[in-house]
Parts: sequence; C-alpha cells; structure tokens
Amino acid sequence: MSFLHVLIIPLVVAFIAPLLKPKSATYLSALAFIVPFFTIIYRLFVPGPAEILLVPFSPPIGDIYLNLDYISHAFGLTICLVAAMVAFFALPYMEHRFEEMEVDSEREFRKYIFIYDLYAASMLWLVYSGNLALLYVFMELMLITAFLLIYNYGYGNRRWVGILYLVWCAIAGVLTLAGFVILAFNSNTLALNGLMASGKGVGMIAWAFIFAGMIVELPVVGPHIWLPWAHAEAPTPVSALLSPLTVGLAGYVLLRIALIDYSFIATYRMPILAYAIFSSIYGGFSVFRQTDLKRLLAYSTVSQMGYILVALCLGPFGLIAVVIQYMSHAFGKSILFSSAGGIIAVHHGLRDIRKMGGLHDSIPAISNAAVIGFLNLGGVLTVGMLGELFILRGIVDTFGVNTSSLGIILAVVFMFILSVWYGFYTIRKVFYGKPKSTERLEISRYLYAPLYIIGMISVLLLFPPLSTVLVHGLNMLIGGVVP
Amino acid sequence: MNEWLTFLLLFLSPVVSSVPIAVLYKSKSWTARLPVLSVLGIFVSVVMSLYIFFNFPHELPDARFALPWIPGTGIEIVLITDYLSSYMGVITAVIAFFIAVYGLDYMKGDYRPSWYWFFFTLFTASMLLVVYSDNLFLLFVGWEGLGAASWGLIGHWFRDDDEIAYVGVPDRKVGPLELCWPPSFGGWRAISTIRFGDVPMFFAIAAIWALSGNLNISEIAWGALFTKLGAAGTIILMTMFLLGLFTKSAQLPFSEWLMTAMTGPTTVSALLHSATMVAAGAFVFIKVSWYIQPWRLHGVPGVESVYLLVLFVGLISALYGALVATGMLERKVLLAASTMSSLGLMFGTAAASYWIHEEIAGMNFALLVAFWYMAVHAFAKASLFLVSGHLIHATHTRFSVGGLELAKKMKVTFIVTVIATTFLVGMPPLTAYWVKSAMDEVMEHLLVHNGMLLPLILLLATSLTYSAILARFTSLNFIKGEKPKHEHLEGCNLMKLGYVLMVSVLFILLYRIFVNEETEIFVHAGYVNTSILVGLAILLAYVGAIYKPRITSLSAIGTFFNDRMYLPFVNDYIVPRIGFFIARIVNDFGNRAIDGFCNTLVMPGLFGAISRGIRAIQAGYLARYIKIVLGLVMIIVILVSLSTGGVI
Repeated sequence: MSFLHVLIIPLVVAFIAPLLKPKSATYLSALAFIVPFFTIIYRLFVPGPAEILLVPFSPPIGDIYLNLDYISHAFGLTICLVAAMVAFFALPYMEHRFEEMEVDSEREFRKYIFIYDLYAASMLWLVYSGNLALLYVFMELMLITAFLLIYNYGYGNRRWVGILYLVWCAIAGVLTLAGFVILAFNSNTLALNGLMASGKGVGMIAWAFIFAGMIVELPVVGPHIWLPWAHAEAPTPVSALLSPLTVGLAGYVLLRIALIDYSFIATYRMPILAYAIFSSIYGGFSVFRQTDLKRLLAYSTVSQMGYILVALCLGPFGLIAVVIQYMSHAFGKSILFSSAGGIIAVHHGLRDIRKMGGLHDSIPAISNAAVIGFLNLGGVLTVGMLGELFILRGIVDTFGVNTSSLGIILAVVFMFILSVWYGFYTIRKVFYGKPKSTERLEISRYLYAPLYIIGMISVLLLFPPLSTVLVHGLNMLIGGVVP
Repeated sequence: MNEWLTFLLLFLSPVVSSVPIAVLYKSKSWTARLPVLSVLGIFVSVVMSLYIFFNFPHELPDARFALPWIPGTGIEIVLITDYLSSYMGVITAVIAFFIAVYGLDYMKGDYRPSWYWFFFTLFTASMLLVVYSDNLFLLFVGWEGLGAASWGLIGHWFRDDDEIAYVGVPDRKVGPLELCWPPSFGGWRAISTIRFGDVPMFFAIAAIWALSGNLNISEIAWGALFTKLGAAGTIILMTMFLLGLFTKSAQLPFSEWLMTAMTGPTTVSALLHSATMVAAGAFVFIKVSWYIQPWRLHGVPGVESVYLLVLFVGLISALYGALVATGMLERKVLLAASTMSSLGLMFGTAAASYWIHEEIAGMNFALLVAFWYMAVHAFAKASLFLVSGHLIHATHTRFSVGGLELAKKMKVTFIVTVIATTFLVGMPPLTAYWVKSAMDEVMEHLLVHNGMLLPLILLLATSLTYSAILARFTSLNFIKGEKPKHEHLEGCNLMKLGYVLMVSVLFILLYRIFVNEETEIFVHAGYVNTSILVGLAILLAYVGAIYKPRITSLSAIGTFFNDRMYLPFVNDYIVPRIGFFIARIVNDFGNRAIDGFCNTLVMPGLFGAISRGIRAIQAGYLARYIKIVLGLVMIIVILVSLSTGGVI
C-alpha cells in the first residue's frame, strides 16, 4: 500500500462515517487518522519515495504531486494525532452540545462527523500537497468546513462569528491566491519541486501578497482580532483543531515559500522580527485580562503564533523551529482546548474564569491534562524545548552575542518567559485555591484519556529515537538551503 | 554490569515505580500501599549511584559516556562520572531515599498521594540527570524537570484550606501587602521566578552551542569561546547563564520564592529546598567552573567581572539570608533563609576559584571547598527540615515553640537537632569546621593576594550570624520556647528513622574528610590559629543564642527581618503592578479598539452605510432613475466643458 492510499483513507471515511452510529463513526474516523499516523512514524525511520506524482499538468500549474519529505511528515503526524484524539474527545462533548441545542443527536452527528472528517482530511492533504494550486484548494476546503462547523454548532452569536471568520479567511485566501497567481505566471509552475529547480525565486511582489495573506491567517496582532471570536464561540472540538492545527498551517505555507526563496525574509528581517516579537508579547499580556477560558486560550494562540513568525526570520535553525513549534503548540493547545471543553461539559457550560477556582478537586484528570498542555506551550519537558532551543540558536546565528543584539535577545527571552507565566497563572486561577466542592465528579473517559496520549507523544518526541530521526531529517532537509 | 543499563536504572526506576500510583489515583486502598514501590524505585537509584561511585572510572576521558541524540548537531546524550558527579549522585540519591522513607509516615493519609509520589520521584530522576549529564541540553532537560517538580510539590496542598501549610502570619498587612501566602501561590511564585532565570540560561546554552559547536561541559573550549566573544559578549553570555543558577538557588534578588516554597510538605522542603534542587544552581556553577578553569583565564577579558559578580552576589545573599533568619518566627522559613545563606557561601567560595591557583590532586582548592560545604550542608539541613516536619506534626503549629519538657519527650529528635546544628555551623572539631576553616583560608587568600577585604568580612559576619540562627532554632524549639498548646508524640517511627539516618551521614563525612587525600588540606586549615579563633567565636555565638534566643529590645528590627526586609514588595507589588498595567492597556484599549474598528463598529458600519446607499438607489422609482441619469449627464457636460476650455 503506498502512501497515497493511506492519505485517501480519511477522505473515504468522511463519506462512510455518516452512515454509522455516533460511537462507531467516531472510532472509524479516529482510525482513519491513526493509520496514517503510524504510517508516518514508520516512514520517519524507513523513508519511502520522496514524491508521488498524481497528475502531470501543463504550465503555469505544473505537476500535481504529493510531497513526502520530513517537513510534511512532521506536520502530517501532528495533524493525524490531534485529529484522531479530538475525534474521541468529541464523542461525549458533541452529544452534550446537541442536547443543549435541542436537536436530534444522532441525525445531527452524521452531519457533524462528515464535516469534521473532511475538515481534518483537508488539512492533512494540504501539508502533503506538492503543488501550490492543490494546496490552495485544500486550504479553501479547510476554511469552508471550519466555517460550517462554527456556523452550525457554535455558541453565542455563532452565525455572526461564523461569517466573521469566513470574511477574515477570505481576505487571507484572496491575498494568498493573488500571490500564487503572480508566482505561477512568473515561474511558469506552481509545483514546489519545479519552483525549487527553476532557481528564479518567488519575487518580492508575490512574496508580499502571500506574506500578507498568511499573517492574517496566522494571525499576528491587528488581524488577530478574528481569532478570539472564532475560538471562543466554536464548539470545543473545532476550537481544538482550529487553533492548534489550522492557523499554524499559515506558518507551513510561509515555511514552504521561504525554502524556495528566503530573500523576502532576509530583506525585511528586522521589521518582521520586531512585529512578530511585539505580537507575541502583546498576545501574552492579553491573556492575563481574559475572563472567558476559551478566549484566554485564543490569545495564547496569538502569542504562540508569534513564535512561529519569529522563528521564520532566523535562518536554518529558525526554520526547523517553525516545524517543531507548530507541533509543540498543536499538542499543547489541543490538550488545553479539550480540557476547557471538559470543564464546559462537566460543569454545565462553565467558561467564566471568575467563577472557577479549586476545580482540581472535582475533575483532577482534566486539571492535570491542562498542566501538561501548558508545559507544552512553555516548552518544558516536551518537544517544545527543542523548538525554543532552535529559536534561541537562530538568534545567535543571525545576530551574535554582543551589546547591539542584546535588545533582541532580551525581547525573545521575555517572550518565552511570558508563556509560562500566563500558563501557570491560569492553572492556579482555574484549578487551585479553595474548592467550592471536594466531591469528585464521574466523567467520561473520552474527555481526558485522549489528552494524555497527546501529552505522552509530545514528551516522547523530545527523546530518542523519535527526535533523532525527525529532527535529523529536518536538519538535513532545511540546513544549508537558506542562508 | 553494562554502563548504560546502570544509567537507565538510575534515572528511570524512580519514575517507572511511580507510574502505578499515578494511574491508580482513584483507589484509596492502592494509593495507601503503593508509595512503598516508589521508595523502592529510589532505592534502586541509590544502589546504582553507589555502583557508579565505586566501579566507574572517575578520570576523563574514560568517565564520559556518549550516545547519539540528534546526530550532527552536538545534541548528544553524554553522561559523566567525574569526581563531582559521582559524589553528588550518591548524595542526591541517598538523601532522596532517606526522605522518601520519612515520607512514608509523613504523607500518610494525605489527600492526593499520587501527585506527591509522582512528582517526588520525577524530581529525584531529574536531579540525578542534572548531576550526571555533561551535555548542557541534557542537563537542561533535567533542570526543567526540577522546576516542574518543584512547582508541583510546593503547591501540593492546592486547596489552600489548612493554615498550617501557609507561610507568614495570618492577617498581617504592611501597606497594601498581605504578608501571608497559601500553597497554590507558593507554587506559582516558584515557577514564575525560576522561569525568569531558566530562559536566559537556555539562551546561554544555545549561544554556547552556536559559538563553540559543542555542548559538552567538559569538552567546550571555554577560553577560546570567551576570547571570541570579547568582554561584553562574555559578560552577557555568562550573566544570562548565571540568571538560571541564581534563580534556582534563590540568590538575591530572587530569594522570595524559596521562602514561600515552605508552603509545601516538609519532605519537599527537605529534599528540594535545602539539599538538592536549590543546590543544583551552586552545583552547576561549581561543575562549570571546574572545566572553565577560570584561574587559567586571567588574560581573557570579561571573565574576572563575571566571577566578581558571583562572588558578591553569593556573599551578600549569604549575609542577607542569615540576617533575615534571625527574625524568623516560623521553623521552616528560618531554615529556608539559612539555606539561602549557605547557598550564597557556596557561590562565593566557588567564585573565588578565579583567584585561587592552588590545586590538590588536580582539583582547584576553592571549588573543592565549595563542593564539600555543599555536601555537609545537604545532610545537615535535610536533617533539620525533617526534624521540623516532625515538630510541626507533633505540635500542630509551624511557629517555633517547645521547651525542655518537649526535648525530654522527643529525645531522639532533640539530639539529632543538636548534632545537625553543631556539625553545620563550623564549631571545632565537628564536620563543617574543617570545611569552614578552608573557606576562611580561601577568603583570606583574596585579602592577602588580591587586596579584597570585603569577602572575608562578609564571610565572618555570615558565619557568626549563621551559628546564632541555628542555635536559635534549637533553643526556641527545645529549650527556651513557649510550651506547645498541642502535643502528639505517638508513632512516627519511620520519621525518626529518616532523620537519624540522615544525620548519621555527617559522621561519615567527618571520617572522609580525615581519610580522603584531597581533603587533607581542610584538616591543615583547621589547625591554623586564626581558624581556631573563628571556630571559638562561632561556638560563643552558638552558646549565646541558645541562652538568649530572643532579644526583646531588638524586636523592631526582628520584625523587619521577619518581613525579609520588605523584599516581597518587589515580587508581590511592583512586578505585578507593572504587568497588569500593561495587560490592561493591551486588552482594554488595544484589543477593544481593534475589535471595534474591524469587527463590531467601524468597518461593519462603513459597509452597512455603503450597502444602504447602493440599495437606496435601486428603489424602483422611475423619477429617481431619471434624476440620476440627468445628474450624470450634467457632470459629464461639466467635465467635457472643463477639459475643452469652455468651447463646445
């Protein structure tokens, strides 16, 4: 069975799962992502073909093929793991949500699981797309499916929020598309290998369009304002894919373009870096004032996406850090959104932090999962440590250690400190302190067990043998490509 | 036995042995029985560390063991069993084991044993990793484990419902500050302070990696690295590195977290916040200096400034800690402040290595003294903490109370306290005396050869005060303290066993000082007249403080010291004030403005207005369309006439 078949499984399952009952549909959907997950792990150790040609296409589109390098694998395994685990988490959660919405649970679940599978599968395909045109198609599919999930199953003024999300993403999409089109006519191809081989680069204008589009999607401060709405009002399983996986894929696109032509970043390194650091610190400070737990996590995403943009500016080690930071944030944030969802499900829609405190007693399993989540964000004992190390190394490689680089060094260091500060501040406010009741609630295993699996993988990825093959592979691929 | 199997057992057996209790957290009967398994796991580590101590090579390059981690990058799994690591490994494992035995009694009936034992063993493993790793990244993995475990264990009693776990006098307010801290706050404060130092340290590690291409402490060409960096670069790099060590070891101005760390269970205070974790900062400094060999880098710019900084931060923290402890009312906080003081002495002495060229058996004299002081301090202070845990258990208060009557009832405890304090303060001829004498000699060397008087003065002042505070601890708890309101003395045999074992190691150390080749010089230092004089002064201070633990006429200054010279204002008032001010601006102004502009008011309003305008045009009335057409014609006519200069 080739890798192509493995990737087709989730797409097929998206159409089969709605025919089944919720529980079996959930297991089937999760399996559809677990199989590719293990295939990817296997491929890390035993690399297969680097490309699979799907359709040869004439210029200016170029060959449409699947790109199976270590970058795609790293993103792919993250998406598969999170999508599978969140699928399990969603089983009790969405049933609870449907009851709350007073709709027929089983019927609605069919619709939901179809869109969910399609959503996750489109992200998986996006990272394996070897052609920017194909990538764009899946990007749009991803945006639309996410929109539908928010629009149909969100909280509060979900229709308004859904449309808000769609508009912002349309802006991002159109800008990126414009960049791709310019690129296509300049280089006569949109295939990544073709672009690499042509040696023409990307061109400043195309780069600028793609960059502008992707920082709306990422997002950085300014355009970030759609994110708290979307993350807070989306149903939690969707938040748990939207924030960890979807927004970070903007980083993936930027990384791919940077690998083709790094000149845009090299030219505007200082302003981009300053903006990224500002954005991250801004997001971090915003966290402290939030009263809605999901909104709080959304601001933490803004802060974490700042890391990715910082890393993008920092040469080869920075680019490796983009990949690792994506993984680390995805693991951490999916755990955190799921634990916020756990609180919502168990404590009847509780989202207001001011009414929390001492929750550890009633839901210790969820509380401990949240700790693991924040450890991921802070890069403590998880794969994020490598991400931070590479970002810091990138700083030294790019700017050196001297009095003139001291400002940048301190800013980046502070950016990292802030993550742990807001993380443990939140933990204390939500879970510790005088409990309102010390009674332990019986909760569904689906609400927490998947989170521990994600956490475990995140820890395992720091140590050999996984980090040995993965980071080595990334280093071979990225090291030396950019100045 | 295969060396990697030894290491694997050493690091993993504590963690693996705690997995069952962590998984079975719901079952009361299992969590009551499974701690024994965790203790066994730590015992395996003890055996392994002893095996390493006796059977592994201690000389480089044989003492280094490497496995690939991320090939081609310098990130490797490299462990080292040199003099420092093999000793420190045994110290760590043995102390952890004794405290774990004590903990079997102390933590009985606790409300979340799984959490406690999981983090306790995670801590032990992390500390061992820090001790044995030569690769800075691997070391940092352990280092982060220390931070996380420390947070978990300090905030162990997260419910904040028992006053006995607080630090500070309830309801005591100074200005806007409440000087009383619950456990969950202690945990948050610890991790936030530690993180403040860890990230700069991580940066320094990344910089060392980038600039020297190597991460192994014993292999890095430190001299070349500093020369390449120049004075400014060296100072920036090393200050960043030291921030990690200073925060971990609670040196000024990062000492506050250690005081509120006393909200954790006493076992935790004993293991983490006296013997090992806080000592990790000083240990890493000693270890790094061991291979930097600063005494050989006198021509390299910047290095001297770095060592001067450490020397004075250490010694000033030492004096601060000792002074502050004189006013402390709480048993554990008194000991915490004295721990900070001892750590300062370790830093100061180790930093003196820059000026000390003397080598004994190939080891720098100053570093050797610092390391041996660390060893003696670890066992003595851990014993004292365990004692105070038992006292808190017995008297149900965290404040120092107890008189001779209590001492008679708790004979073993009393004797252990006397041994631990007298052996630690530097009273001749007990264990620490020899080490302290050598320390006097180090500082004297700075005076004679480098003209620095201040270090010696600071050391002597600290030593005397230190002796007085430990005597005060003994006196207030067993001799001259008030009678406790509550006494609960039955049982607790494992607790007694724990501290008796712990304190007995001090005798072994005394013996080692006399038989070891490299510590012979300590003995020589002890016979010098000035050392004997200092020793007698320390003895006097001890006896004086036993006799008069409280001086009422100085109570005002005592309160000032008990409030830790108002250092909490920095942590609890100034820093959070600034932080929340920024957060407020960012969120209440920044985010609201952007949200209003893009999402809720301006842009939607603008689009709404345009859309209404366009729709108003398409009303369907013929008259309106004719008006529009006529209007357009008029505009065209005007434009045409303008462009042709008025000639139609």
